[in-house]
Amino acid sequence: MADHSPEDNRLALKVVFYGPALSGKTTNLMQLHSLLNPQRKGELMVLETRDDRTLFFDMLPIGLKGDSGLDLRLKLYTVPGQVQHDSTRKAVLSRADAVVFVADSQTSQQDNNATAFGNLEENLEKVGLDIDTLPMAVQFNKRDLPGVVDEAELQQRWANTPWSPLQMAAALHGKGVIETFRVLLDRLYTEVDREFALETGHGIDRDTFIRQLSAASEEIRA
Amino acid sequence: MRNFEDDPTLEDLLTADQLQRLNRMLSALCREPVEIGSARETDAVALEFNLETVGWLSGGSSEQERVAAADLVAFLMMFIAKYRLAANLHHDTTEASYAELQKQNEALRASEARYRALSDQLQDKVDEQVAVIKQAQMDLYESARLRSVGQLAAGVAHEINNPIGFISSNLKVAGDYVNDLRELVPDTDQNRELLNDFSDLIGESSDGTRRIASIVSDLKTFSSIDQADYTLCDVNELLSSAVHLLQTEYGHDVDILEKPGELPKISGHPSRLSQTFYNLLDNAAQALKLRESGTERGRILAKTTVTSDGIQVVIQDNGCGIAEDIRERVFDAFFTSRPVGAGTGLGLTVAQDTIRAHRGSIQIDSREGTGTRVTLFLPVS
Repeated sequence: MADHSPEDNRLALKVVFYGPALSGKTTNLMQLHSLLNPQRKGELMVLETRDDRTLFFDMLPIGLKGDSGLDLRLKLYTVPGQVQHDSTRKAVLSRADAVVFVADSQTSQQDNNATAFGNLEENLEKVGLDIDTLPMAVQFNKRDLPGVVDEAELQQRWANTPWSPLQMAAALHGKGVIETFRVLLDRLYTEVDREFALETGHGIDRDTFIRQLSAASEEIRA
Repeated sequence: MRNFEDDPTLEDLLTADQLQRLNRMLSALCREPVEIGSARETDAVALEFNLETVGWLSGGSSEQERVAAADLVAFLMMFIAKYRLAANLHHDTTEASYAELQKQNEALRASEARYRALSDQLQDKVDEQVAVIKQAQMDLYESARLRSVGQLAAGVAHEINNPIGFISSNLKVAGDYVNDLRELVPDTDQNRELLNDFSDLIGESSDGTRRIASIVSDLKTFSSIDQADYTLCDVNELLSSAVHLLQTEYGHDVDILEKPGELPKISGHPSRLSQTFYNLLDNAAQALKLRESGTERGRILAKTTVTSDGIQVVIQDNGCGIAEDIRERVFDAFFTSRPVGAGTGLGLTVAQDTIRAHRGSIQIDSREGTGTRVTLFLPVS
């Protein structure tokens, strides 16, 4: 559902961070905000939270300009993970171009992961999207905590899905966040290039797309 | 339709009044008045929000002043936009939830209407069932009445048998006497005519008694007056005697091929089974009569086989078949396709009742103009 307006030569894409409550979606977005130094970066908007939990959504706009003058925007959204905010989740999910599913690695949270994944599938269907064709990356967060499910086991469990291999992360410490985002950009590029001819029409090849949108800040590299 | 996530314009964020107030307040802070507008003036500074230029700030005493003012405006707009986004999202989700509730409400209404309609129909359905029960009662009464008439007929037939016996033998002797008389009386035209007439009278009377005897025998066959209780019976034997009975009735115009298989004896009602076989064979013989002329010779096949849990009796003919439009009604009591008086319309009804009483089943396959096959299944136990 990319929002393309040829008269302004603008293309706005929407990426939604989905997942169970307290799995670290907002943390992912905050880390991206402080770690990334893309060509263009807006303010991170954190809408209403209560006790540190998202009530509406968070949003971070980033962007790049193509050789053709194409103004490409990526808006990164998080959804509220708590069960009762389902209609908000659905509203944020509508017209998404890609999804990052942030799962909780703790053994005790596996049921919640499954429920949230089922909810994602259901809501995608309701807003007219298909989980099998939508570009998506799956991240297992909180690897830094004790009592997490073994990575080999997780990878094996998801081996036969389109989302293998899984990304491992400790978002609180900034680990695996950019990597997950790059995997997503890679999958997203395939779809967007097919529809809008990014490479041939606007001089944005896969490498530029990923590098420009996920460039790490100088101070982190140092 | 605008989505909550569409980038806001300057007008979305601030009303004209608010914009004027903001201009005044900023101008008060700056050395020279500043102005925010959507048109780009020379030396204007872009007001950015979410990577989007939403307006231009011009005026002021220096570039530095304009940039500082624009930063302040951007900072303020962030909070206005946050509120707007949250409000719009809230509006969107409320509307979506409301639409969903309405849809559910409609579905509930529809289902309520359906139940209401069903409850209205309930009385009609009950009336319908009552009518069915009444009809069944009538049928039952009718068949009981018929059975008693049948018993009466059988009783009468039994009583008539004796007198018919001596009447027919007397008539035979009387015929001999007429022949004796021919030798004794003088041979005149008048005498000869008288004796011929006498002989004819006796002959006709003998024919009459034979017909009475035949009717009586039929009545005895068809009624179950001398029925025994269930006994072990040999189906092949019963079928064979029915075949013989039919052959005497129809003479040797019909070929009946018997193919008896090795059968266990089954518990059954011999006379009712015999009657069933006879009814089916009689139907077959009638069907052969109605066959189109010029076709191959009429044949009836009477075959028995043993199956895993019972025995099977097949009676098949290459007669006229059963017309498709009446096939569903052949088991109905008093339904007959024969001319008035030629059939009672009970043959297959009785056959079906009998087979059901033996916990078996009856199946008819027929093609008009080709023939009919009736398959009976009787369980062994």
